[in-house]
Amino acid sequence: MSMPAATIDAPPAPAAPAAPAAAGRPEIVLKSSEFRKGRAEGWLELERLVTRVERQGIRRLSLDELQRLPMLYRAALSSLSVARTIVLDRNLLLYLETLSVRAFLAVYGPRANPITGLRTFFGQELPAAVRSARWHILIAALTLFLGVVVGFMLTVQDETWFNSFVPSGLAGGRGPSSTRADLYNNEIFAPWPGWVESFGLFAGVLFNHNTLVGILTFGLGMGIGIPTIMLTLYQGLPLGAFIALHYNRDLTIDFLGWLSIHGVTELGGLILFAAGGLVIAEKMLFPGRYSRLENLAMHGRLAGQMAVGAVIMLFAAAFLEGGFRQLVASTPLRFAIGFGVGALWLAYFSLAGRSIRR
Amino acid sequence: MTLAHDRTSDFLEGGRRERRQIVTPEGVPLSVELADHGERLVAFAIDLFIWLVMIIVLLVALVSALGLSRGSLLAVSLGLFIGFMVRNLYFVGFELAWRGSTPGKRLVGLRVIDRAGGPLQPSAIVARNLTREIETFLPLGVLLTTGKSATGTVDWSNLGIALWMLLFAALPFINRDRMRGGDLLAGTLVISLPKRVLLADLVERKAQFSFTAAQLRAYGAFELQVLEELLRRPATPDSMRLITEVCDKICRRIDWTTPIAAADILPFLREFYTAERAFLEHEQLFGKARADKHAGRGDRPAPPQ
Repeated sequence: MSMPAATIDAPPAPAAPAAPAAAGRPEIVLKSSEFRKGRAEGWLELERLVTRVERQGIRRLSLDELQRLPMLYRAALSSLSVARTIVLDRNLLLYLETLSVRAFLAVYGPRANPITGLRTFFGQELPAAVRSARWHILIAALTLFLGVVVGFMLTVQDETWFNSFVPSGLAGGRGPSSTRADLYNNEIFAPWPGWVESFGLFAGVLFNHNTLVGILTFGLGMGIGIPTIMLTLYQGLPLGAFIALHYNRDLTIDFLGWLSIHGVTELGGLILFAAGGLVIAEKMLFPGRYSRLENLAMHGRLAGQMAVGAVIMLFAAAFLEGGFRQLVASTPLRFAIGFGVGALWLAYFSLAGRSIRR
Repeated sequence: MTLAHDRTSDFLEGGRRERRQIVTPEGVPLSVELADHGERLVAFAIDLFIWLVMIIVLLVALVSALGLSRGSLLAVSLGLFIGFMVRNLYFVGFELAWRGSTPGKRLVGLRVIDRAGGPLQPSAIVARNLTREIETFLPLGVLLTTGKSATGTVDWSNLGIALWMLLFAALPFINRDRMRGGDLLAGTLVISLPKRVLLADLVERKAQFSFTAAQLRAYGAFELQVLEELLRRPATPDSMRLITEVCDKICRRIDWTTPIAAADILPFLREFYTAERAFLEHEQLFGKARADKHAGRGDRPAPPQ
């Protein structure tokens, strides 16, 4: 009655119309087997190339192989597309799928070597990210400044505020009871402790309270920015309190010099952290045409790059504070170093990579 | 879209692997397997071990070369600085040079890819790895250097740091794509990329048995692929017993009354596989894909997964 099913797929070619079932042993030819026979060579060659790229890098391929790789990759992709519709051989499908992904990664993998990658990141992308967030940076800087002003105004009238603004760890024994001589000799112009001691400070300086709050301002951008603003304001308060303490003892200029040598860089890092948090907040608050998470993912890289810049600035600040602050015992020189370094940061972020971009 | 072979894999491997689709620039969707939490943890542990050893060797060499006393402040600072440089250059360097893979990831078979299927940008690699500093290492540093609470009371800021690190550690568990903070920011995904080899086709050229279309309609793609897996297993007494059982079941379902000799079981199944595949592939060619034995006469779409 019905034709033997096994012969259904036989090619309609000359010999095809199927040896009748009566012959007992019909020749079975599957389209999928034929499909595979013609192409398997190419797949295996691609697999060999991809394995070599994975092991040794794409540079090891000869010019000829380098030209064949994308061709074989596209051939494998088209095989996969066809195979999905006509082949039911699971091993073949899985093999093609995995091979395509591996080849895709080999063909579209990062072409840069580590040095070029780092140069691209620090030479173009990081400064470009910072430039694109200049309004956020401005807001963060103004907020910090506002915090400093509030801290100053309150403390300058009533020094008991100092104790509530400055955590005891940060105060380091300084406070309303400190005399002018205390501050002058033990803080601003404290004797240089020598290389070992001063670079030893590095750790304590790096992992201090400020760094932590800086990171928090960034991360809490997820809370639509309000915690970021609050924390940034809160970071300004102790600074204002310190300035007021020294103002009342007629040490403002010397203190600012002492602070600026690392403070310009450190505050820059903290502002960058806060601005990154504000970028996150903005993307969550105003997602535009996308869902909030999608928009965050799209612009997250920008915020991440800013945070990376902030981490690097904090490292530089810790280096300056630990190494140079007490070594340079002159206020004008401290100002010069602090703002000189600050100008370098500014020049870097506003100028680097500009010509390359457009 | 759930592909038939994905479903078979889930059945055979006894669990669902999370899959995501990326679309290559050529417009072909590729299905990738998300890396397991365990796999990523193992890969990270291997990397951690390697770079910790690198840091310790470097530090010991430097400290003894400079003649510093161990545990001095300078040694600690030096350690922190070297640690920062080594771990970041390690991850960034390897992921750039090895196309999204580090020694740990390579051993486990993981790769970092762009979430949208585009080329993996160097900046994404730098961003996803430097974010680690913010997620873990800087807070850890703060916790370790200021960790001693002078008073016996609760230290709120340390508690906050611990919470912060916990949040980031939990992040891969609470989002669908198992992204860590760095992946989220850099737009990357970590996938598992098992090595697979192309095995010989199981198709039997010479047919000894012949089956009717009605008999072949008893099964669908899913059963076919499970049978394929069974036939590809190395022949052990265990698998032979299973094969005999399966053969019995098939015979009963397709009303195959002629008894099959023990020696003929394997050839019979291979031929049945061939005929079934030829039948199903032919049907599929004309748009009548049969997902499994429960599918209708081929004109009803497969039940949704």
